[in-house]
Amino acid sequence: MDLHPGDEIETLRSATAEWLAGRLPLAAARRSPPGLWDELEAMGWPVMTLAEDRGGLALDHASEAVVFAELGRHLAPLAMVATAVARRWTLLPAKCALAIPAGDGALRALDPEGADVALVARADELATVEISPGPARATIDLTTLQARVPGAPGAPIAGQKAVLHLRLLLAAYALGAADAARDMAVDYAKLRVQFGQPIGAFQAIKHICADMAVGCAVARSQLYYAACALGEDAADAAFHVLAAHMLALRAALANGRANIQVHGGIGMTDEAQAHLPLKRAHLLGRIIPPGAGILLG
Amino acid sequence: MRIAFTPEQQAFRATCRVWLGENVPAEPRPLDALDALPFDTAWQRRLFDAGWAGINWPREYGGRGLSLIEQVIWLEEYARANAPWIGANFVGVNHGGPTLIANASEEQKAFHLPRILKGEAIWCQGFSEPGAGSDLAAIRTTGRIEGDHLIVNGSKIWTSFAHVADWQELVLRTEPGSQRHAGLSWVICDMHAPGITVRPIRKINGQTEFCEVFYDDVRVPLGNVVGGLGNGWKVAMSTLGFERGTGFIADQVRIGIEVDELIATARASGAIANQAIAGDLALLRAEVAALRAMTYRNISEAARTGQPGAESSLIRLFTSELNQRVDRMAVDLLGDDIIDFAYGDPGPVSEYLRGFAHTIAGGTAQVQRNIIGERLLGLPRGR
Ligand SMILES: Cc1cc2nc3c(=O)[nH]c(=O)nc-3n(C[C@H](O)[C@H](O)[C@H](O)COP(=O)(O)OP(=O)(O)OC[C@H]3O[C@@H](n4cnc5c(N)ncnc54)[C@H](O)[C@@H]3O)c2cc1C
Repeated sequence: MDLHPGDEIETLRSATAEWLAGRLPLAAARRSPPGLWDELEAMGWPVMTLAEDRGGLALDHASEAVVFAELGRHLAPLAMVATAVARRWTLLPAKCALAIPAGDGALRALDPEGADVALVARADELATVEISPGPARATIDLTTLQARVPGAPGAPIAGQKAVLHLRLLLAAYALGAADAARDMAVDYAKLRVQFGQPIGAFQAIKHICADMAVGCAVARSQLYYAACALGEDAADAAFHVLAAHMLALRAALANGRANIQVHGGIGMTDEAQAHLPLKRAHLLGRIIPPGAGILLG
Repeated sequence: MRIAFTPEQQAFRATCRVWLGENVPAEPRPLDALDALPFDTAWQRRLFDAGWAGINWPREYGGRGLSLIEQVIWLEEYARANAPWIGANFVGVNHGGPTLIANASEEQKAFHLPRILKGEAIWCQGFSEPGAGSDLAAIRTTGRIEGDHLIVNGSKIWTSFAHVADWQELVLRTEPGSQRHAGLSWVICDMHAPGITVRPIRKINGQTEFCEVFYDDVRVPLGNVVGGLGNGWKVAMSTLGFERGTGFIADQVRIGIEVDELIATARASGAIANQAIAGDLALLRAEVAALRAMTYRNISEAARTGQPGAESSLIRLFTSELNQRVDRMAVDLLGDDIIDFAYGDPGPVSEYLRGFAHTIAGGTAQVQRNIIGERLLGLPRGR
């Protein structure tokens, strides 16, 4: 047993963080820079767990989860999650949108620009469908667009492991959003002065930040455990991945809300970035939300 | 990263399981501290004789000299086997002994450590005072130097197991006129010394486990000072580090078993059909899993750096509140039966009431949040 990332993963993580800070700063997250997708591809992030002989990096899910949490912290494209899963379990080479059932038989394809395939997220089985999306519309998440596409059974991806893989990466993205919200709140609490002192000196603010830190630590720990459980084919992998998914979503929502409160009036403005993690969290919360069933055993 | 244990560790786990299966007492531990004393000491002796006391303590003082991972494996199996709480031996084994290992003289260690492990000496912790709780540096109990002794006067409060203890970790003001963190000393006090009066205090669940302790010209040899005169704050912080740092390891398995029992209860009564209850129980199960993951992460870091990670304070806060959420859920599922609770009844209501201590004893939840905010997140201290 060793749940410390160790030097190799840490090197990978810090390289990812550095690249994202330069190329995808949160302040610019709503307008993804032109050519971004090709750069993300070039970084190898969609093929981290793919075998070497198929052009992948042959890393384990634990490394992947750590890196995807960094991507999530920068509200990186949602299609990255779908594409990484589709690459791992099918032979699809291209960008893959993430689709969820829209209720009326159609699909909502999330992050569809430039994708002719979507990974359909369903709790029991994933599938891929070909799409030819029309003009994209907004979603609550200002970094993600959507297109309505006709529903189709698509090509199923056999096995629960693919679903768990998708959940793991969604959990990593949610953790990233929770981390981003915590960091924004803590940074602002050190800067903003009222009553002659930084607001972070007030316990009412300090304790909110402490709770945000607890939420992140809980979610991150379970994410690491779940990633190992999946990679090691543990008998209870499904339970642990669901737990990680649930806890990461909770942390993302709670921290997203708290971040706006810590910012006060400026947190209510479109111009500031405080609302971005919360809105990402709400979108993630609608993608195969983890139910009580498997968790109750 | 990996979650699998090595074959050696798995073999160690199997040995733990076999021994516990054959040796865990059939009768439950008595609830009252006085009634439980013979039980606690006998059980500790049995653990010692079989080599299970002090798994990660140095060999020369009766320990096994193994790593924190073996200690965790033991504690996991211990909880899984439903072995009894170590009760009165809690202070000595969990933080008195470790404080001595880290700070005491060879003579002090050689005398006290084996006695703690064998269950021959019960320890208690004399830190808190009526005027010094969260603000521990406000301690006013004094130790005046007279020849080769300290003459102790004052009082301590909330001292768990003081009425059954042989020794005490006592923090005193030994430098007259000193303020706050300076001028304090951490001493080993003989609880049978003349001039000590112990008044047990009943808790909200009816149990009598903690006490008020009065000191009237109590003589403590200067040779009982640990870590040097005037260094009490530093030694006390190391005690709190052990008290706050390792307690959660055993908790995670115990809480997990409790949650599984609650789920079984809710299934039997049909309460699980209520979506809100099912959702809460599912979340508790996820949180228990995360607590184990946090514990493993913390130990993994300790294995690399030699000390538990900075995130210990996060784990402690999370554990204390998770414990209380589980206690509350148990009481909610009880329904009208909560009305029948009377002092002396074991069970969920007693545990629920006792459990308020999780966010008070050993540093309140508010103090933990201050620590997380200031030391982990770097937020400024309030004025
Ligand atoms: C069951 C039990 C067993 C115990 N056993 C022992 C023992 O064996 N030995 C021992 O020495 N002590 C023991 N204690 C004492 C325990 O350490 C203290 O109760 C604890 O440190 C709080 O101190 P206090 O009770 O004086 O509360 P106070 O410090 O008066 O706190 C009252 C309230 O004010 C809040 N507060 C205080 N300061 C701050 C602050 N700076 N910021 C925000 N909020 C604040 C607290 O969080 C709390 O809600 C025990 C306590 C309990 C409940």
